Amino acid sequence: MLSMTCRSLDFGTRVLDLVAASIERHSVKNVGKTFTSKVYGARRMVCSRLNIRRTRVFPTNTSKALLDGVGEQTTPVLDLKKEAKSPVSLANLFEVVADDLQTLNQNLQSIVGAENPVLMSAAEQIFGAGGKRMRPALVFLVSRATAELAGLKDLTTKHRRLAEIIEMIHTASLIHDDVLDESDMRRGKETVHQLYGTRVAVLAGDFMFAQSSWYLANLENLEVIKLISQVIKDFASGEIKQASSLFDCDVELEEYLLKSYYKTASLIAASTKGAAIFSGADRSITEQMYEFGKNLGLSFQVVDDILDFTQSAEQLGKPAGSDLAKGNLTAPVIFALEKEPKLREIIESEFCETGSLDEAIKLVNQCGGIERAQELAKEKADLAIKNLQCLPQSNFRLALEDMVKFNLERID
Amino acid sequence: MMSMTCHNLDFGTRVLDLVAVGSSSNASIERHSVKNHGKGFTGKVYGARRMVCCRQNISRARAFSTKTSVALLDGVGERTAPVLDLKKEAKSPISLANLFEVVADDLQTLNQNLCSIVGAENPVLMSAAEQIFGAGGKRIRPALVFLVSRATAELAGLKDLTAKHRRLAEIIEMIHTASLIHDDVLDESDMRRGKETVHQLYGTRVAVLAGDFMFAQSSWYLANLENLEVIKLISQVIKDFASGEIKQASSLFDCDVELEEYLLKSFYKTASLIAASTKGAAIFSGADRSVTEQMYEFGKNLGLSFQVVDDILDFTQSAEQLGKPAGSDLAKGNLTAPVIFALEKEPKLREIIESEFCNPGSLDEAIKLVKQCGGIERAQELAQEKADLAIENLQCLPQSNFRLALQDMVMFNLERID
Repeated sequence: MLSMTCRSLDFGTRVLDLVAASIERHSVKNVGKTFTSKVYGARRMVCSRLNIRRTRVFPTNTSKALLDGVGEQTTPVLDLKKEAKSPVSLANLFEVVADDLQTLNQNLQSIVGAENPVLMSAAEQIFGAGGKRMRPALVFLVSRATAELAGLKDLTTKHRRLAEIIEMIHTASLIHDDVLDESDMRRGKETVHQLYGTRVAVLAGDFMFAQSSWYLANLENLEVIKLISQVIKDFASGEIKQASSLFDCDVELEEYLLKSYYKTASLIAASTKGAAIFSGADRSITEQMYEFGKNLGLSFQVVDDILDFTQSAEQLGKPAGSDLAKGNLTAPVIFALEKEPKLREIIESEFCETGSLDEAIKLVNQCGGIERAQELAKEKADLAIKNLQCLPQSNFRLALEDMVKFNLERID
Repeated sequence: MMSMTCHNLDFGTRVLDLVAVGSSSNASIERHSVKNHGKGFTGKVYGARRMVCCRQNISRARAFSTKTSVALLDGVGERTAPVLDLKKEAKSPISLANLFEVVADDLQTLNQNLCSIVGAENPVLMSAAEQIFGAGGKRIRPALVFLVSRATAELAGLKDLTAKHRRLAEIIEMIHTASLIHDDVLDESDMRRGKETVHQLYGTRVAVLAGDFMFAQSSWYLANLENLEVIKLISQVIKDFASGEIKQASSLFDCDVELEEYLLKSFYKTASLIAASTKGAAIFSGADRSVTEQMYEFGKNLGLSFQVVDDILDFTQSAEQLGKPAGSDLAKGNLTAPVIFALEKEPKLREIIESEFCNPGSLDEAIKLVKQCGGIERAQELAQEKADLAIENLQCLPQSNFRLALQDMVMFNLERID
């Protein structure tokens, strides 16, 4: 049994220093709207990692006491028999790649903003606080986790450029998605098209897609070029699939998973695989990284879909139940439809009656739709953890595992 | 001096047949087609003119219209033989149908492939695709790809187009079409080629989605061509499109716009894609660097000439001919070559433009001023200048019907402003 002292560390501490000093960290920095400051206790004992995962899905209240501010805490004792239950924070996860993310932010602003002031404003609107930079962080983490295998000491320019490309594609798709969905709010702020009009939104999205295609081509790696082009194609296919099956109560789970793959997991899978490719990892590793990204992505999407039912508008940064309202039937609904015929009626009425949306949400909650969706999210998360086994032990691998868990904790 | 008889040939006559019978470029090519191929031009007779030595003189003659062509406009049938007098160049205008005859089969295959690529995904997209792919699109860009492919193939000893040539042409047309769909959303245009725009008919959402889908498909096909040079070339184009749109959007009603800026914007929006198409075609033919660079320049100069002519027509044609309201560029504040030239002469024009046409009748007044100040004529000279450069760029190609067709393409463009 090991005792470790928790003490505040500067957020800017770099991982290389930490690895050298054998790790004790916590961070209470608030990095965005979707999570509050949490203390991340000293838990980096590899042997207990897998067990902690199972306890994470079910909330405990002990973390509450740790939520208040920075400062000296009583020493948490790491008991190998009783795993720590402190939740994971993104800030912490990303700490190991904090500098990489900062450079990315600067580069993105200059790439997009340099062209035109209006685009700059649109870019700030969407790139500003609220975006978690999850995808670039994944690229950096996988890059660093696999770099060791190739004997790389640091990230290459291509790694960085890949992360920028990924984030631009992601952002461009969000801007266009909001046009397609006619959404007014995202992350608590007005959407680009709500603020600047459809024209600017279409143009900003096109510009970012174009920039990413150009940077992608200039990476001069055919495998990665094909990988990412597939993603852009998948995005469009996913949108079309979704648009053509609105309010369609016969939608099957497989179809939903395929659409979720197209819309979310495809990009993440291509990011993680691309990162491994640029690390020079061999085929078995790059394939495992693809699967990791895919399973993480699917888990992430399912959790997002659950939150649309369980969170308030304030937490979501947009109206609650908006997927359902638009006829986009996700995992909780699909599961609930198996149990409750009344739900089908209401959905097929396209919520023409007032209060019917709320009733539908209630029914979904009552039929265990949420629980079964949680199981699905967990199933994908378990697969993702397995995919990481091929990586050497490192803080980066741990951070990737924590990423999986962080996602599940969102539905605590 | 040679006499040639004009007689009707089937539209489907293939150039390969013509080449097989020997030096047909010098001898008996006589074709005409009176098939009405769309809104942009009416049936015209294409007299026997394929004498290489007078080609360059013809280009200058073409820019100025003659009325003789009117007599040839009526229907199909036997005609008196036009005499080719080397001292007096023939003045029969060119028809696109004719130009494209040598690659007619290639274009037909392309059309089928495009419809299936886009339509297979979803019925709504299919309808949107039909709306935009349907009659009215001239397929100039794919035709250029096919013509340059075939014109350069000889250099590489190729007997026929490769799958990559065909795929390149499809990619180019998809990118072009996707950009038109989004352009119409950006410009809030209701009509294109005499039909309602995709977003007018199906809504902005479908238009954005159809455009995104086509961009995505072309990126994917492009990546799978597995040629880094071409991938970079075309990616540059897509980037240029976006830059061009932004440039245009941020300089609306800006009377200080200079000609260079206009040319750059025209490059981004039009010539860049054409230049990449022609260069890409040459690359896939395995042509060497000097030829591929000349093909790039050809495409660029042709593209610029084409854009200038388009901009002239926006002033000189009626709404019916254009398939959309006349003067719409100016109305939106997009100041093109005729306007830029006219602004140098007429301060009153500046006032009206800067008022953004808030007064009724001011747009018509502006159009009149542009015409009075010689804006049209100077723009015609600019189009001619670029066309001449384009013809020069073709010199590196071996003589063939394809090279002739490319030259005719340049001239056809100029004839639009006769």
